[in-house]
Amino acid sequence: MKKQLTRFLAVVLLTSAVWSCRERETLPDGDYARGVLVVNEGLWGSNNGSISFFKREDREAQLDVFEKENGISLNGGAQSLAEGHGHALIMVDLRNAGLDKVEIVNSNTFKRIGTLTAPDIENPRYGLVVSETKAYVTCWGTTGTFPNFYINPGYVAVVDLTTQRVTKKIPVAKGAERLVAAGQRLYVGNAAEVSGLTVINMATDEVVSTLTTAASPNPIGVDADNKLWAYAGLNLYKINPSSGTIESTLPIGNNPTKSAGSFAFSPDRRTLYFVLSAYDANWNAIGETYQFATNATQVNVSTPFVRRLFSGLAVDPMQGLIYAGVTPSYAQSGYVVRYRPDGSLVDSIRAEIGPKEFIFK
Amino acid sequence: MVNSRLFWWGSAGWLACSLATVQHVQAQRDTVSLAPVTVRGFAPERFMAGLKVQVPDSATLQQFRFQNITDLLAFQTPLAFRNYGPGQLATASFRGTSSNHTAVLWNGLNINQPNLGQTDFSTIPVASFDRLAVQYGTSASVVGTDAVGGSLLLSSAARQSPGLSLSAGRQQGSFHNYQNQLAANYATPLGEKWNFAGKTALYDGRMNNKYPYRERQNYLLNPSESEQRGLVQDLFFQDAGQRQQWSAHLWLTDNQLILAPANLGGRELTRTQSYRSMLQYEALGWTARTAWTRDLIDYGKGDFTYLEHTETDRFATRLEKEFTRYLGRRQSTPWSVRVGGEVAHYRTRTDGYVEPLITENRADLFVLSRWQATDRWLVSANLRQAFVTRFNPPLTPSVGTEYLWLRRPTYTLAAKASVGRNYRVPTLNERYWLNLGNPNLRPEHGWNKEAGLEAKWVPAPAQQLTASLTAYHNRVDDWTYWNPERNYYVENLQLVVARGLEAQSTWQGTWQRWQAGSQLGYAWVRSSQERAYTAYAQDILGKQLMHVPVHTGTFNAYVQRGRLRLTGRAQAVSRRYTTFDNSKYLAGFVLADVLAETTLHAHHWQGRLQAQVHNVLNTFYLNVNRYAMPGRSFSFNLLITYNSKTK
Repeated sequence: MKKQLTRFLAVVLLTSAVWSCRERETLPDGDYARGVLVVNEGLWGSNNGSISFFKREDREAQLDVFEKENGISLNGGAQSLAEGHGHALIMVDLRNAGLDKVEIVNSNTFKRIGTLTAPDIENPRYGLVVSETKAYVTCWGTTGTFPNFYINPGYVAVVDLTTQRVTKKIPVAKGAERLVAAGQRLYVGNAAEVSGLTVINMATDEVVSTLTTAASPNPIGVDADNKLWAYAGLNLYKINPSSGTIESTLPIGNNPTKSAGSFAFSPDRRTLYFVLSAYDANWNAIGETYQFATNATQVNVSTPFVRRLFSGLAVDPMQGLIYAGVTPSYAQSGYVVRYRPDGSLVDSIRAEIGPKEFIFK
Repeated sequence: MVNSRLFWWGSAGWLACSLATVQHVQAQRDTVSLAPVTVRGFAPERFMAGLKVQVPDSATLQQFRFQNITDLLAFQTPLAFRNYGPGQLATASFRGTSSNHTAVLWNGLNINQPNLGQTDFSTIPVASFDRLAVQYGTSASVVGTDAVGGSLLLSSAARQSPGLSLSAGRQQGSFHNYQNQLAANYATPLGEKWNFAGKTALYDGRMNNKYPYRERQNYLLNPSESEQRGLVQDLFFQDAGQRQQWSAHLWLTDNQLILAPANLGGRELTRTQSYRSMLQYEALGWTARTAWTRDLIDYGKGDFTYLEHTETDRFATRLEKEFTRYLGRRQSTPWSVRVGGEVAHYRTRTDGYVEPLITENRADLFVLSRWQATDRWLVSANLRQAFVTRFNPPLTPSVGTEYLWLRRPTYTLAAKASVGRNYRVPTLNERYWLNLGNPNLRPEHGWNKEAGLEAKWVPAPAQQLTASLTAYHNRVDDWTYWNPERNYYVENLQLVVARGLEAQSTWQGTWQRWQAGSQLGYAWVRSSQERAYTAYAQDILGKQLMHVPVHTGTFNAYVQRGRLRLTGRAQAVSRRYTTFDNSKYLAGFVLADVLAETTLHAHHWQGRLQAQVHNVLNTFYLNVNRYAMPGRSFSFNLLITYNSKTK
């Protein structure tokens, strides 16, 4: 009963919060102007990734909204989604070489504006929309088979959103991965055991330097003190973007069988959440989710925020609720589970296969 | 393409040698009186009383001569195929089961690829066998492992009368696809005591799949090229008194598939080769058989310098004896018992297994019996025990019966029923794959129950109608599951229940100049997972299994006037789910083909010309990986045959 009351109050508060927002702002037209987009990766090879959407007060998600608005599904794995300045770029990974693509849609209506295809785009990973006319997409290029998987240099595709064309490929190290902008610099991560973040000058779209780290680093984002955070294996880096130097390196525990991922900032950008995962002896994926303050001197891996493993994690900057993706397997629908900042559960919403990213609008 | 040329020269040499033998023995023909060679062999269907068996006629096999068995079965049976695209992997779901649950037998030998425990039906051209029986339902007690949903029995037959026929065929299709076939059938007496018959067939097909469009309805087509080559050699030696027979069979196949061929860095090669050979001797109710098969799979990407290799050899030897007794002194009520055993040795070298070389031994003991109790009542009862290194499947019994209920001059009605246990030995991949395989798996086991009615009606002297209705229930426990919740670790997690109904009817009519016939089939199957083993397994409880359509339908019809025949055929498949919780699916579709054919005769020569429209409705449908399948396309087939005997 008490639970129900709490839930009721939560919904009332939530709804009123959203309504009060609406009164203050004028929203752009479109069914997806306000709410949460969920990137569902899909089962690799089955080409069945999708984007779900729900308004914050909803208990049910609208499934495959790209299909709903464009009459055709993504027909590939939904690797990631980059949103900003009225645009959304969906990085779509298909089973076979030469068919990958980036779908560009109006982020409020989800109507397709254009599609980037091979050879401009091959194994797209992450994107970043920096203005109404410009975006970046990292790509691995064509891959081989293990152990020689990264057979080509990676690149960052510069996308002109006006013409929906790739205007330049900036060659970077193999396995180009996540990207974060800090000031005029673009920091590009890596998945191919390369020891450093690639730094690109966004004014000239040229590589200017490499910031040495442990192998396979990825940038996370910029905190409230304008420090750039990045991670590589079980190392966290606090970087001063204006000097381009690492200010401090924090270890994420000391258990080498675990791996850290799904980093997410709180709305005030003073807390970082992340998932620490491993496999047990029976090949079950296990893990917990932790949080720590950006000014802490060590990373908390002793008291979990939630004792659960998630396939994605993000914090809603508007309400501060923590959104976590649950993937029972890549052969059935996953769920979006919402938590309050104190770690208590709000609710769960059924999404699609492998929910891994959340975009708040 | 160097390979291709070598193949043709080698093949031509082989054919020449075979023919030389025939020419030599034919020279002596004139002086000898001839008995026709009839090939007996062992037909497992004899011991499957109560089970439904469908045997496509030779005209149907002729029509599909330039196609794969997938096309034939999809248009003639309720088997549902998991199709990855033209010329690509196609696996079957028979009666709501998975691709591991259909036994494929070639002259009595299970030829499912041992590592995968299934057959890629895209690698079996209709031209590679002479007879096909589609057997519905569990027959594990007769056939052995894998026969859970049903089995496909492919067999070779020899020419009946002395003589020689040679044929050459060519198919030219849309998208730069083509196929060549060469075949020789020969039969001759050898001295006074023996008759010899044989067949040599070669096929080589290439699908370039040069589609004039990159996508259909905004869905991409998946660029691919495939080449399929094979050699079939059958030799039969039978004594004139038909008391003993030797036969030797050889079937070599080589299939090569390249995905994304234009993308030199990302293209993918899958090469599948099979060597199958068998020697059999039958005399005085005894049958001895020894067989060797080798299955090779190579997979690679990019420049193909590094290929993942799978190589599995199987040596199987079998001895059987059949007794027939007459109970109650009536010659019309024979009781046949067939007792036998088989030992098999497996050796596999597979990249990715726990050991570089894995060997195992298997054995089977079985007793099959069939009793024609009265001229209306047939009973069969069978028992099998299989033994496999480190674990043994359960004792597998089955009982079946058929009763001719009504027998009138113009109609008959028969009732049949069968109960049988089934099992499936886990595949080599399921047990030996590094990390994901599970050496402690148990064999799957289950019970299949079914009952049916079969009616025949002759409303007028030149017309015939048949109809059948079958209901079944198949419950399989310890269903092996590559558990996606555990990174695809294999476990005996599930309990699957498949229940269904099958209705089929045929009609055939003959008039003075005209001939017509039709076949209509419908199947309903509800196949679901019934055990919850984790919290999220609740979401898949009771849901239809993936890639198993609830409804399938087939329709075939032809009209013939003189030598001109026009055939139309259609298959309908309902929605197929692609996730365990049924949240995603591929839409249902109806596919139709039209075929016109005629035959020209001139003395020893015969020419057969077929023109075919595939997907005549230009249906849009998707393959398993959500790529569009091609639209309407055409092919022309020409088969020229020389027959030393004129009819």
